[in-house]
Amino acid sequence: MTDTSLTLLPQPHLTAKGFCLTSAFWMVIATFAGLLGATELIAPDLTANVGWLVFGRIRPIHINLVLFGFVTPGLLAAAFYYFPRLLRTELFSEKLGILTVIAWNVTLVAVTVSLAMGYTQGREYAEMVWPIDIMIIAAFVLVFTNLAMTVKGRREPILYVSVWYVLAATVLTAATYALGNVIWRPDSGALVGIPDAILLWFYGHNVFGLLLTPLAAGVTYYVIPRACRTPLYSHTLSLLGFWSLIVVYTHIGTHHLLQVPVSTWLKVIAIVDSVAMVIPVMAFLLNIWFTAKGRLGEIHVDIGAKFVFTGTIMYFFVSIQGSMMSLPQVQRVTHFNNWVVGHAHVGVLGFAGMIALGGLYYILPKITNRPLYSRFLADLQYWLILIGVVGFTVVLTFAGLIQGSAWLNGETVYRLLAEIHVYYVVRASLGLMIFVSAILGLYNILQTLYGKPGETP
Amino acid sequence: MYFPYFITYIAVGFIISLSVFIWALKNNQFKDQRRARFLPLENEKGADAAPITGISRFEIYGLLLLACAGLLASAAVLVFALLPGGPP
Repeated sequence: MTDTSLTLLPQPHLTAKGFCLTSAFWMVIATFAGLLGATELIAPDLTANVGWLVFGRIRPIHINLVLFGFVTPGLLAAAFYYFPRLLRTELFSEKLGILTVIAWNVTLVAVTVSLAMGYTQGREYAEMVWPIDIMIIAAFVLVFTNLAMTVKGRREPILYVSVWYVLAATVLTAATYALGNVIWRPDSGALVGIPDAILLWFYGHNVFGLLLTPLAAGVTYYVIPRACRTPLYSHTLSLLGFWSLIVVYTHIGTHHLLQVPVSTWLKVIAIVDSVAMVIPVMAFLLNIWFTAKGRLGEIHVDIGAKFVFTGTIMYFFVSIQGSMMSLPQVQRVTHFNNWVVGHAHVGVLGFAGMIALGGLYYILPKITNRPLYSRFLADLQYWLILIGVVGFTVVLTFAGLIQGSAWLNGETVYRLLAEIHVYYVVRASLGLMIFVSAILGLYNILQTLYGKPGETP
Repeated sequence: MYFPYFITYIAVGFIISLSVFIWALKNNQFKDQRRARFLPLENEKGADAAPITGISRFEIYGLLLLACAGLLASAAVLVFALLPGGPP
């Protein structure tokens, strides 16, 4: 017989607050880097003699700060809030949590400075040099330790699906990061030849798919039932989704290498598993959507849930794209061009980023015991991001199709640039909207945490 | 001859996943699923019921428009890639 009474003492939520601030602050820096990069694509001479701001350095800064600076901390903030609740215990150690937040931010500064100074291992998504690789892995180990020890001291025998997702994300990311960055070779961080390409894309895909996807799913499974004031549609279905994700997702990175002389069996595994991703994706989405069925009013009222629910729609969209892109017939057109950039933005900003912001806005009133400073600013941020992401998708699809079809017909790269210039201009304009939304979000979160009490939620 | 390493990696991942799954099975993690559905709703103190509000019609139309734009862009890719007359 389980005691289901509330036995939690009031908690300071310092770790959750720390990750909230981390996410909001680095979103500003990361989106500025993205905006600067997009502007450099229009005006290449913009930063011509400023070595640390050239596109080759700004792009990895943008990507890594979005991944490790904005989205992951936002999702972890929510996780550090809901873990004690779902397990009916206190967080194992707030001190360890604060240490993790500090270590995380020191690592992000090191990432930014080292990449700006040109220290890179030159592998896409795995640019950071060896000492920073170790710092990132250590940060994930700290997160895992705190959460795993919280699980160990739990008073709730059943692990809710969100707990499964978050633990899997931290373990898999630490392992994936270590393997994918070839940390046993500190000097180069790489293997040689084709094996390195395979390993890199095993990492490159999984660092998003096995970090952001499970963390975002965990937040969604917590926020939507609570916002709707209704139990989850099916916990069994959620576990089916979780286990199928773990089995299927881990091997699909090679679908990035279909045009490369990689063994056919590995490509087949990647393509089949990419298409099979429909199982965990739909298990998750149907579960959430059936939970929310008939309760969209409640979701509309709660700005956090509104962000999260929109993120699930983006997840549906990006998953269709992913399975579609893995088919060789389609990839002939979409590979190596701006279509992929659009796809990445839908996944990381539209899906995981939206859910990270939703998680933040959902927990902020609870960890501060104060209403959100401004619902209007949060709504404005929501629409700026939504229009930005969908705009990216449309514009970059156009640019990508132009590039893809031209290259298939033997056209050279430079002759296309004039044709896609207008799309790059629109893309930078949309980037400006997202950068503005990040500033609004940071202001809103800072005011909620430290300013005068705002309006009622 | 690099692929034995990747087969090993896939196998190790599968074995670890299977081990955790068996642990979950033995520890009754798949029992009492009815109660598990309610876990997020527990520990809820002093939360007022959210007022049911009519969703702004304009907002819905806006969302629908954006969804259609995104889906049409992806449909264009498929049509372009797969239909005759597309790329060679």
